[in-house]
Amino acid sequence: MNTFLVSARHEMLNTRRARTAHILLIVFIGMVIASSVIGWVTNQTVTGVYNKVVADGLTTAPNPFAGVSPLYYARNAVIYVLLIGSLMAIVLGVQATVRDRKASTVDLVLSRPVATPARLLGQLAGLAVVLAAVIGISFSVSWLIFSIINGAPLGWGDTGRVIAFGLLSWVLLTSFALLGMLTGLRSKQQTTALLVPFVIWSAVAFVLPQIGTAARPVSLLNPVPALASTGGYFDVVSAFTGPLSLTEQFKRASSIILQDPNVTGEATSSILILLAFLVIMTVVVVVTPRNRMRSGLNE
Amino acid sequence: MSSTWVIASKELLDLRRDRLFAVLIGFLAIATLISVGVAAAAFRTELDAYNLYVQQLAASGSTTPPAEPQLFPLQLLRGGVEYLEILGALFAIVLGYGTVAKEKYRGTLQLLLSRPVGRFAIPAGKVLGLAVVWLVVVAVLTLLTTLAILVIGNAPLQGIDLVRILIAAVVAWVYLVFWSSLAIGITALSPRLSTGLIVSIVVWLAFVLIIPQIGDTMDPDNQVPGGLFATLQIQKPDELKVLANFAAFDGIRNGLEVSSITKHFERLSFAFLGIKDKYNQLPLGLVWADMWGYAITLAAATLASVTFAVGATTRRNLQRKIS
Repeated sequence: MNTFLVSARHEMLNTRRARTAHILLIVFIGMVIASSVIGWVTNQTVTGVYNKVVADGLTTAPNPFAGVSPLYYARNAVIYVLLIGSLMAIVLGVQATVRDRKASTVDLVLSRPVATPARLLGQLAGLAVVLAAVIGISFSVSWLIFSIINGAPLGWGDTGRVIAFGLLSWVLLTSFALLGMLTGLRSKQQTTALLVPFVIWSAVAFVLPQIGTAARPVSLLNPVPALASTGGYFDVVSAFTGPLSLTEQFKRASSIILQDPNVTGEATSSILILLAFLVIMTVVVVVTPRNRMRSGLNE
Repeated sequence: MSSTWVIASKELLDLRRDRLFAVLIGFLAIATLISVGVAAAAFRTELDAYNLYVQQLAASGSTTPPAEPQLFPLQLLRGGVEYLEILGALFAIVLGYGTVAKEKYRGTLQLLLSRPVGRFAIPAGKVLGLAVVWLVVVAVLTLLTTLAILVIGNAPLQGIDLVRILIAAVVAWVYLVFWSSLAIGITALSPRLSTGLIVSIVVWLAFVLIIPQIGDTMDPDNQVPGGLFATLQIQKPDELKVLANFAAFDGIRNGLEVSSITKHFERLSFAFLGIKDKYNQLPLGLVWADMWGYAITLAAATLASVTFAVGATTRRNLQRKIS
């Protein structure tokens, strides 16, 4: 078996044995499933509120939720992928590379005729399979819940959209796992290796969108996109920060894929930005020099 | 000098030399300042749009312009409070974890335990050290944001505004001490150091991000951009009357929110700063009358967290095998 496959298998085995990783995986799967139920309960209540408002003669406006897609209940999952999924992926990525440096197994591995790109790509492939499995499990159960709420199995079109959302989630999470791998390779301390990607994630998820749209940090945790400020300063700044706000691009593309009535337009540009991020991160990790991989930790 | 204060002084010295600490606090300060600047820019954009609209109205012969947008300077701090509640808590966890982890990694723990220090001196010294650090950090952030309101926001502040800012700073300090103490306790109890950090982060994820997010998501008014009731053109009194019919749902939603210490911090800060419209320009006594319950729970939770840190950081737990 070649280096790539051995490394991939080894990574999957290690993740299976890591109890702390299990906590995050279980929380992620649980929350994605719970999000469907939360979405359904909330939608039922809001429909009740609207009916009451109409019965009291307080409005003649149409029901903003009339005819929403059954996938509407999945919109909270977008946030959980961003919050729990991204942090889980970062932890997995950091552990993958720090583990080798901490236990000095990397010295043993690299004493063999092993190409570093094959080793790193193998580790990445192992993580990518784990992430795909987690996404696959959580979204399969969600599909089942949507079908139960809907009273019938989801059609091919909606099922395709759930799969597309799963693929997009996989792209985002694998990118964050790569960020974790990178800091795991480059940091001198394990704490720094974990913390730096968290800070980068915070900057991408909260600071960049705020600079470009004046959205408040907490409002960015709501699946409904914040109303962006426009004109003057914001038109100029959002042209630069918008493409870099990867989490907002993910929210936008996912909302379009899941047919959220609050988001319109094409998802193509957002998907391309996320794919470009994945490719760039892969290249940056794979070109890590051999001596960097072998450097010890200071703690 | 008591051994508790010696350990606290050592913490202060360690953190003064810690580059990671400087980077984290620098990041928090920049994010907070950016939030004030962005809020001020958003207000100016709104004002420009208003002036343009008034000009157009005047040109068309209308003599009844709509009400001019009004700037309440302390409302510029909303983003900063939210950064403290999310990132501040995360960084507080990292500092709490670091204060225990470094002793194990550096091997200084054995040296420390070989000295005649009291049962509670080490954890109490560490909590005290971090409390002093957060006091300094909050004081610096408060000063910076106050200056930012005056300079970037170009907004005047009254004496009462400074008192409100000071109260919010005290609330922030108590909140940050809560998270640092919790992380100390969890790290001391964890057999593996990395487990301590990850478990603390999972707790942060649950109580800072997930639970408040679920509460926000379940809010009927958050279902449509701009607000459900605003979209349906429903006035506030009618909104309250309608929502009274869904008291059970709202009770569950609010129960979820208040189970998170973060919401207590947020509601207290928003009330005293007048960020929440209901409390804007309200005398402090009336705000306190409405908010004292949240102040008590935040203080009690912090006291419990400090007790947990001091109780869990025993010699036996600290001397567990390092892995």
